[in-house]
Amino acid sequence: MNAPLLELDNLQMHFPTRQGPLKAVDGISLSIQAGETLGLVGESGCGKSTLARALIRLHRPTGGRVLLDGQDITTLSDSALKPYRRRMQMIFQDPVAALNGRMTVGELIAEPLEIMNIGTPATRRKRVKDLLDKVGLGADAANRFPHSFSGGQRQRVGIARAIALEPELVVCDEPISALDVSIQAQIVNMLSDLKRDTGLAYLFITHDLSMLRHIADRIGVMYLGKLVEIAPSEALHVAPRHPYTELLWSAIPVPDPAARRDDAFETGEVPSPLDIPTGCRFHTRCPYASPLCKATEPPLKTGADGHGVACHHPLPSSPSTAQQEIEHA
Amino acid sequence: MTAPLLSLRDLRTEYRTDRGTVQAVRGVDLTLYRGEILGLVGESGSGKSVTCMSILKLLKRGGHITSGSADYDGTDLLRLSEGQLSRVRGDKIGVVFQDPMSALNPTMTVGRQVEEVLLQHRKISKKDARARAIELFKLVRIPSAETRIDNYPHEFSGGMRQRVMIAIALACDPDLLIADEPTTALDVTIQRQILALLKELRDRLGMAIILVTHDLGVIAETADRVMVLYGGQIMEEARVADLFEAPQHPYTRGLLAAIPDPRQSGGALTPVPGSPPDMRNPPSGCPFAPRCPKAMAICLTPPDLYGAGDALHLRPAQRTRCWLADPAVPAELMEAT
Ligand SMILES: Nc1ncnc2c1ncn2[C@@H]1O[C@H](COP(=O)(O)OP(=O)(O)O)[C@@H](O)[C@H]1O
Ligand SMILES: Nc1ncnc2c1ncn2[C@@H]1O[C@H](COP(=O)(O)OP(=O)(O)O)[C@@H](O)[C@H]1O
Ligand code: SF4
Ligand code: SF4
Ligand SMILES: [Mg+2]
Ligand SMILES: [Mg+2]
Repeated sequence: MNAPLLELDNLQMHFPTRQGPLKAVDGISLSIQAGETLGLVGESGCGKSTLARALIRLHRPTGGRVLLDGQDITTLSDSALKPYRRRMQMIFQDPVAALNGRMTVGELIAEPLEIMNIGTPATRRKRVKDLLDKVGLGADAANRFPHSFSGGQRQRVGIARAIALEPELVVCDEPISALDVSIQAQIVNMLSDLKRDTGLAYLFITHDLSMLRHIADRIGVMYLGKLVEIAPSEALHVAPRHPYTELLWSAIPVPDPAARRDDAFETGEVPSPLDIPTGCRFHTRCPYASPLCKATEPPLKTGADGHGVACHHPLPSSPSTAQQEIEHA
Repeated sequence: MTAPLLSLRDLRTEYRTDRGTVQAVRGVDLTLYRGEILGLVGESGSGKSVTCMSILKLLKRGGHITSGSADYDGTDLLRLSEGQLSRVRGDKIGVVFQDPMSALNPTMTVGRQVEEVLLQHRKISKKDARARAIELFKLVRIPSAETRIDNYPHEFSGGMRQRVMIAIALACDPDLLIADEPTTALDVTIQRQILALLKELRDRLGMAIILVTHDLGVIAETADRVMVLYGGQIMEEARVADLFEAPQHPYTRGLLAAIPDPRQSGGALTPVPGSPPDMRNPPSGCPFAPRCPKAMAICLTPPDLYGAGDALHLRPAQRTRCWLADPAVPAELMEAT
């Protein structure tokens, strides 16, 4: 296998607070290959945005390492980071909200090129036109202001700006969460097309596991600052091994009244990140918890199939294995 | 056949703003029976919240109801004075919003806030109001109800705050609960708990619920009947089972194709092209026409709601606002544009 584009090695981001350290990201190791989409999912507050910000170095991590193409960028100064910044871009829930409202869409998309001194005004205009075309906006959008755009169109502007410098990795933090359902699929499909055409990689963060399966090659599941499971999307769907992943799947409403469930579903809530449970942090909500789970934190173990799980009593590894186990019993 | 609990007829509501008049609701009819969960589904801006808030005349500045009636148990709510309405709100009709934090008073314990509602609408002693508040907290499954009622809103998680809101809404045993996106701001795990709670409360207390959501999954899990809104109008109305089994309207079909189903495998989704209309200047014909794969020349003329149930309402109507559903449209008008 090739060296990964991005590697996180035991990454840690603890925030000091009056009640002690808030362990938002508490030792996460993972890697993203060039051209790959890694999805990241978990309930709100589990540390997804913090992880994203730490890895593109908007935060300075409090522990562990971030490697881009094998280069350790964890503690680089702002000036030393500059060449790396260009290779990693980020898009947010409403990417246009934070931008200068007096700039036209064309100016906003050309801005990163200007800052990096790329091309002439004429070549930049041409590039803006190409980028608008790539994200499905007409060339006439260049002269308009983003505030007159719908949510989906604004996200397209944000994406055009993010890919202007031809990054190798785009970190997408909940890019579709604020969009209407009919528009979400437009954006997801467009991001997939861009990846196919340009070979860029995504870290795609969302709390919507069912949408993630349509865009991610692999999916990582976070709980209270830890990665509890990571696997190819299909495996994570067909045979989740961590009880928390199983819980997330079962919570998603199914768009089919014939599959309606009427059970009470009392599964508790996430504990405070300032008071993380001992042992396995999920044990307070886990239906399979044993005394071992309360005492000892399970490490993330990855099998030959690339399926990693951090659990003392993982669920069977695939439906066929489960079947075999039943037959052997 | 029992009479409906609520029947809304030809509701039209607009917002007058500096930048023009928004035609938020354009002729909505809604019939709700006791004990029924009616889902209102549609994209943002389709008029779901304005429809609900019009029923209680809780419109923000600039909002005007320009026509319609809202017959609630024999009274037209839209004709009531503000004083009469304030006796209905919180007593006969409870409301729960998406963001409980903005609806709760941050400086008052949650218990006091439940008691206030009781004291306002009922002749009841302070002691009994407190006992009732604890009982309500238990009903909505807030753990350690006896001590939690003395906490302030910020001491609760988002999910627990929403339970507090539901407890307040249920304080006076309303016949109708209006829940406007009650789970949109919550994680899916908490959402499923709240939806299960709403269904259980309906079963136990027999109240009717209008459940507003943009999520067809939530409708499938929770509602008995559903109305699909778009551009301030009902596009389709059906029993939930019928809507998912045989969606009639091109917009409903588009939405169903665009959403992921957690049971199916991955692959490309089918988006609905385009974006929703600007309601300051809505399309003159069918509001969905600019995005509709089936649009025809006749669609520049507004279609009616077609279809009917049987006269006894034993099987409520599946109705569709689309020219394709009008049996009387002459074939020559059915040509694509
Ligand atoms: N700058 C900060 N200072 C202190 N705590 C923070 C900061 N940013 C995030 N947190 C906390 O870290 C935890 C993880 O937050 P976040 O990464 O935003 O989660 P997610 O994106 O998964 O919802 C939360 O408890 C949040 O309150
Ligand atoms: N306070 C307001 N001022 C002006 N326009 C409003 C206001 N509230 C809602 N609207 C407009 O009314 C229409 C319907 O809004 P709403 O009922 O809130 O939609 P939904 O709840 O379906 O998302 C939208 O076009 C919206 O912009
Ligand atoms: S380690 Fe134990 S408590 Fe944690 S998820 Fe596995 S079974 Fe549950
Ligand atoms: S009336 Fe015409 S445009 Fe509207 S949904 Fe039907 S076919 Fe489409
Ligand atoms: Mg976040
Ligand atoms: Mg609304």
